[in-house]
Amino acid sequence: MSDPAPNVLVVDDEVQIRRFLRSGFELDGYAVSEAENGREAIRAATLKPTDLIILDLALPDLDGSQVLERIRSWSNVPIIILSVKSSEMEKVRLFEMGADDYVTKPFGMAELLARSKVVLRRKARATTGDSVVRIDRLKIDLAARNVFLDDERLTLTPKEYRLLQVLAQYPGNVVTHQELLKEIWGLPHINDTHYLRIVVRKLRQKIEDNPNQPRILLTELGVGYRLAPPNEPAEPAAH
Amino acid sequence: MPRLPSPSETAIERLRAAVGPSRAGGIVGALVLVTAITITLEVLKRFVELPPIIITYLIPVLIVAIRWGFVPSLVATVTGAACAAFFFYRPGYTLYVEDPARRLGILIFAVVAVVAAYLAVRMRRESENVRRREKEIGDLYAFSRRLAAGHSTADIFDAIQQHLSAVVGRKVALFEPRGPAGRPEPIGESDVPQGVRAAVAAVIAGRAEAAGMTVGDDHGDLWLVHPVSSKTPDLGVVAIDLGSQTPESEKEIRARIEAMLADATSTIEQIGLAHAITEVRMRAESERFRDALIGSVSHELRTPLASILGAATVLCDAPAVAGEPRLAALASVVREESERLNNEIQNLLDATRITGEALQPKLEWAEVADVVNTALERRRGRFAAHAIAVELPPELPLVQVDAVLIEKALGQILANSAKYSPPGTTIRIRGCMEGGELALAVSDEGAGLSTEDNAHLGERFFRGRRHIQSTPGSGLGFWIANAFVAANGGTIEATSRGENKGTTVTIRLPVTANVEQLESIASE
Repeated sequence: MSDPAPNVLVVDDEVQIRRFLRSGFELDGYAVSEAENGREAIRAATLKPTDLIILDLALPDLDGSQVLERIRSWSNVPIIILSVKSSEMEKVRLFEMGADDYVTKPFGMAELLARSKVVLRRKARATTGDSVVRIDRLKIDLAARNVFLDDERLTLTPKEYRLLQVLAQYPGNVVTHQELLKEIWGLPHINDTHYLRIVVRKLRQKIEDNPNQPRILLTELGVGYRLAPPNEPAEPAAH
Repeated sequence: MPRLPSPSETAIERLRAAVGPSRAGGIVGALVLVTAITITLEVLKRFVELPPIIITYLIPVLIVAIRWGFVPSLVATVTGAACAAFFFYRPGYTLYVEDPARRLGILIFAVVAVVAAYLAVRMRRESENVRRREKEIGDLYAFSRRLAAGHSTADIFDAIQQHLSAVVGRKVALFEPRGPAGRPEPIGESDVPQGVRAAVAAVIAGRAEAAGMTVGDDHGDLWLVHPVSSKTPDLGVVAIDLGSQTPESEKEIRARIEAMLADATSTIEQIGLAHAITEVRMRAESERFRDALIGSVSHELRTPLASILGAATVLCDAPAVAGEPRLAALASVVREESERLNNEIQNLLDATRITGEALQPKLEWAEVADVVNTALERRRGRFAAHAIAVELPPELPLVQVDAVLIEKALGQILANSAKYSPPGTTIRIRGCMEGGELALAVSDEGAGLSTEDNAHLGERFFRGRRHIQSTPGSGLGFWIANAFVAANGGTIEATSRGENKGTTVTIRLPVTANVEQLESIASE
């Protein structure tokens, strides 16, 4: 990592989990602080500058989702949820409450590190205010409302563009079906998942090499869609 | 005011009013048959010498007796004799008969006809009785078979409800005393008014007399509420819609239905139903207990496992360990084995979800390619040694399923393929439309299935004899896959050309609409 060591706050009541998370993050160049319950977590998040919070859902004092809600009321620091529950409904609920990602326990450290990197990068991009998102061969210019594949400008229908636009606001992060349906078709169509499937199918035919094995517009089964993590920002803007 | 016959009222209508509709039909039939015979004889007599005329009239008498009963056959006898006298015996065209021998003949005909008709009618009744009894026995047999095959009290109560409906000949709503929802829910007829439900609840709670009661509803219909058995409340309570009745007809119909109920109940009790119900309940209870135990143990196991697996992955990537091949190998043993343990725990949890009936698929339109990709992605590590070939035609329709359950089912099948086929071989996933269903086939080049495997494949905890020693596993995978696919209205089928010739497992999912139809809805 080129940035100064990002601060990660690990919230879990299990000491063993905190222990390996600390080692894993420190080995990857993070500065780690710990909290073992909800109140402590909220206090730590207010007192210390924090770049990322790893939040376990089952805490002894507060429910993890309450902690998420409290912190979200003043901060949009990236939060990754840890939970033994893997139900898709639970994931949808937490994403809609503002969680940035969700990892089911047990998990491997490499996976958590990869996801941490994605949410941190999104935050960095949001602060620079860059309106161009590059993913693989795809370039989305949110300011000019243009989409390019390599150097070729794509012709998208309004719905297709809107889908890309909503996803590109948080590249790498999951946006739930309901949120997408609400953003693109409006509240009355919040359960018409097939609208979404058909537009995704058409869009993939335009932007993916193999629409059956997408690399850019990815499915989070039972939850929603996300764009693949954007390319490293170093590339010069040639267009 | 006395009712005057209107001019349009025909003779048949008057007859019908006098003797009842079915008998009137029989009398008309008798007249028609006798007339037909008379005309035939009248025509024949011009060409051939006729046998004794009077015997021919036995034919309509017997037919009428068998078809319509005794009274119409008497009519046929009298009109037959009259026709013979009138048309065929000298002097002719009068009822008077000249020849004394022929007069005696008519008398004998009348006696024979009446006796024959009586016998024919009795025979018909007997055969009807036999047929009815046969049907009753058939019903009872079907009932006892359903009892024997019942897996839950719901199955048994379903069987009782159908049996009672068949016996009473009316729609019967049966209330299970300890229904799944805590309050009694009717089986069979769901449209039971609130007042009747309250009465049912009172009978179940023992607040009302055990002999049952009648309750009126808002539409003026009467309902009979009655415990199935007067001895035990375990057999439930029935509510039967009697229609609108006057007090007198109510008493009559109630007595009739109560008699039929008593009949049905005594057979039910003989079959040992109460025992069957207790047994099923205990079985369900112990299964629930077992699943609760597995569920809580699995959760408890998962917490330390999360620490072990997490710590192992940190170790694997730590520079100090990664640079030391022997340590790195040990660290990856810990990681891989805890991943395996985690999968087994997940299987146990999935299995408890299935038997706990908590499996409620959330149906949504899904893209099959997404399901396949997710299944492969989530188990990437396990397919490292195999080549994966995916063939999904782009025009495959969307399916309305719980994509997460289908993904888990497919994952189980893929994991089995990887487990039972040698490294370096190919696992093929192929999707196509087959007779209105979407078929997703997973083929491997592995151990295949023996005939014994094939016979037991769907069973919980079944493991092939060839693999018990050599390959670890719990025998839950295929069973879980099967249950998950079935919950989505699909089917699953495993075929193999024999041992070591590979296996193909096909998931078939219902397709309710094609993409073009949906597209026209979604297009802007």
